[in-house]
Amino acid sequence: MADPAIATSLHLALELHKPLLIEGHAGVGKTEIAKVLARLLGTDLIRLQCYEGLDASTALYEWNYARQLLHIRLQESDGHAPADSEAKIFSEPFLLKRPLLQAIAHEGRPPVLLVDEIDRSDEEFEAFLLEVLSDFQVTVPELGTIRARERPHVILTSNRSRELSDALRRRCLYLFIDHPPFEKELTIVRRKVPGATEDLAAQIVALVQRLRRAKLAKVPGVSETLDWAEALVVLHAAHLTPELVGETLGCLVKDEADLRKVRADIEAGRLPLGAA
Amino acid sequence: MTADLVRRTVVLCRDLRSRGMTVTTAHAIDAIRALRCVRMESRERVYLALRCVLVARPEEMEIFDDAFAVAFSPPPPGAVENSVRVQRRSAPRDPAAVPSLSSWAKQEEEGGDGEDAEAVPAASDMPAVVQKDFSTFGADELADIQRIASRIARRLAARPSRRWASDRRGRRIDLRRTMRRALAEPLDLCFRRRKPRKTRIVAICDVSGSMDLYSRFLLQFLYALQGTVARVESFVFSTVLRRVTDVLRQPDYARMLRGLSAEVHDWSGGTRIGESLSTFNRDWGRIVDRRTVVVILSDGWDTGDPSLLGAEMEMLQRRSRRVVWLNPLLGSADYQPLTQGMQAALPHVSVFAPAHNLAALRALERHLLS
Repeated sequence: MADPAIATSLHLALELHKPLLIEGHAGVGKTEIAKVLARLLGTDLIRLQCYEGLDASTALYEWNYARQLLHIRLQESDGHAPADSEAKIFSEPFLLKRPLLQAIAHEGRPPVLLVDEIDRSDEEFEAFLLEVLSDFQVTVPELGTIRARERPHVILTSNRSRELSDALRRRCLYLFIDHPPFEKELTIVRRKVPGATEDLAAQIVALVQRLRRAKLAKVPGVSETLDWAEALVVLHAAHLTPELVGETLGCLVKDEADLRKVRADIEAGRLPLGAA
Repeated sequence: MTADLVRRTVVLCRDLRSRGMTVTTAHAIDAIRALRCVRMESRERVYLALRCVLVARPEEMEIFDDAFAVAFSPPPPGAVENSVRVQRRSAPRDPAAVPSLSSWAKQEEEGGDGEDAEAVPAASDMPAVVQKDFSTFGADELADIQRIASRIARRLAARPSRRWASDRRGRRIDLRRTMRRALAEPLDLCFRRRKPRKTRIVAICDVSGSMDLYSRFLLQFLYALQGTVARVESFVFSTVLRRVTDVLRQPDYARMLRGLSAEVHDWSGGTRIGESLSTFNRDWGRIVDRRTVVVILSDGWDTGDPSLLGAEMEMLQRRSRRVVWLNPLLGSADYQPLTQGMQAALPHVSVFAPAHNLAALRALERHLLS
């Protein structure tokens, strides 16, 4: 999907060597962009999934304690002095590389580092990440400083569940992805669910576009459209009927109150099922 | 690259800055570097490239579009599909039009140097002050009362989070530390415990008419929690809703209040609670999750449709951990929540409490942080 805004943003991120921050509703394909970029560049994708409480040791590196303990035990039974083992157990084989360090220590072509849903991490982690992203080097006290040979391509995504700091925004290029318009979503459905007939695909997209304008608690994204299209194809549907929609609506609308509302709208004929 | 293009870009950057966006010199340099990477004969490419570098949040898209149209007249080709249309901020009205808050800010500047905070007695030592309704204080007392409110807020305790801190006793073994020490003396276990977690609070405050004063106290009170035990997002409304979190973040106290009076142009007027909450749910609903406490301060005098208010309250209640409705009128013994608005909202409220004096603010603790 060569959307000019997306293409320009990726192009600039590569040329200017800056991280790209992508915001948009859930399910519009933010994560997908990173995957496609990695594929286009023929390089590895390293993904850091954020969550509240994510801290440096989970994101960067940790020592393999179980292995260290085992090693000390073995050394003891061999009668070695503990002093010898210190250098040994704090060496690279005992280091567990977490995504950020993996991206920095990566060999070969610079990888794509995807920091997914950065809005879920807390402010402290955001500050830490800023530091890592600004110099791409990490100091492990026991090992020394590890520096990236070439800067990884960094993509951050956010669902806007909280406002990110200005400092982070300033560092990044910015791309906002809205729900696609009818024509574009139809193209996506055709390409990703080739089993759907022309009629069905058009009806599906028309209905989804209408639902997005209705006031729902959880607005369906493109991924929901695709799930739904696939479900309908499995059921060998050629057209939408009220019964069929009723049975499969759960693929699209994932909130109980929304479901009730949409069902009522369909029964009352307020949501026409014909193609737009 | 043509000198004209560079000049236009610099003009654009300066214009964006004057419109309140953060555009640093580094941004301007990046913008010019970016132009070198795209086909400059394509107006759309130039537009997209500059937008990508200079815009940092969807709310700024419209401002950018405007400024771009001016700097690169004739206007850019039709809408680019993915740009979002967000209501443009209306120009702030003359600050003189909001006398109450401006004067408050002025007072703050003249009166308090902030250093004598220690001289203010603890809230518990002043029962009379603690029980007194905010609206009955004289203008000269407000600054002092505000300081007490902030101190109460800062004393409030914190909750555990998923982050860890080393501890002599905790319940989880800190393997990293244990291994470090094991080299010297085996099996001296180090423990860790959860670090305090910050609660998320979303405050939506009515600033129409008589609610103005109470809202200011609540916002200030919550502001003191900001960054210590809670993450606070603040909104005010009377006829329209406005996010004021960034205004409240201004480091300098008096400037912050001035900023607020400039930002909130309808600081006194009619109330449309239902519509304001509807705007909130539409534009900001995403920031409310199961750990968020939503605090609404209003007297419930809604001039809009009560069924809309009910529906929006239901949605808020479903998304959040708790909805706390603060009604300063509850502080008076003979108040009955009989207005249509209040009646529509109450079924979806977990906590209905007053917020008319310091004691009431202090009592908020258990509703907010538990």
